[in-house]
Amino acid sequence: MAGKSIVDEANQIATAIELIELGARLQVLEVETSLSRERLLRLYKEVKGVSPPKGMLPFSTDWFVTWQPNIHASLFIEIHRFLTANTRTRGVAATVKAYKLYLEHASLDGIEPILTFTRAWTLLRYFESRLLTLSACNKCSGHFVVNPLDLHKNFICGLCAPPSRAGKTRKAALTQVAIPAA
Amino acid sequence: MSKDRLFDEIRDANLNYLLLAQTLIREDREAAIYRLGISEELAELLDALSPAQLMKISSSTTLLCRLRYDDRLILDMLVSHTKDKPMARAHAAILGASRPVEVLA
Repeated sequence: MAGKSIVDEANQIATAIELIELGARLQVLEVETSLSRERLLRLYKEVKGVSPPKGMLPFSTDWFVTWQPNIHASLFIEIHRFLTANTRTRGVAATVKAYKLYLEHASLDGIEPILTFTRAWTLLRYFESRLLTLSACNKCSGHFVVNPLDLHKNFICGLCAPPSRAGKTRKAALTQVAIPAA
Repeated sequence: MSKDRLFDEIRDANLNYLLLAQTLIREDREAAIYRLGISEELAELLDALSPAQLMKISSSTTLLCRLRYDDRLILDMLVSHTKDKPMARAHAAILGASRPVEVLA
């Protein structure tokens, strides 16, 4: 292509590498950069050392409204909203910044970051296309990811009123036992 | 605590806060704005302060930074031990992110 800027291409590659390191799937890279599929494939193999996973991206909005993923998704979306409201960062840069801040939260609190980068990116796309929206909890007034077609008049979030047995997994029980022993 | 000692401590805290804020802003402005809870304009202003200026505003009888979580709900979440701690902190972070930043008047 005539007039293609090398600097621009270098920036695109740098963005792509950052996204790959955060765990973005190939489909995300294809949308967020202008590099060709072949180059992205080669780049992915170089960075990760393995071929990118095949198959479609997760396409259900249901995952984001189940209890634990909902907390992670809401945390990410609130950080992202904070950044776009209070700084000039936009687009993929804002997604990357917000995702890194989310990862920091998760690692400091010792919770597994179950929201992968690709999921976070998909979540933002769902918000753009209004497949998901935010609703304020009537108890804590925090904003949480909800399905726009549900009723939210008396919405109470999953943290103010956790469903019975929520989070009481076998894994959680094992770490509970491990703490007093240590 | 004697008065002199008290003012020394306040000055140290102020200076520490300002130096940390500058480091954060220079490292990653957007993340710093999130961490400090200040506006972009205020971040630019802090970034531009010289060491001499930092010293000047640090020497004060009052603290420069104030408690961000001046909200009973968030404070209760962070200090209570009854709840699942990581989840309580995630909850506090969700609530904290939707709060307005400090802006220049």
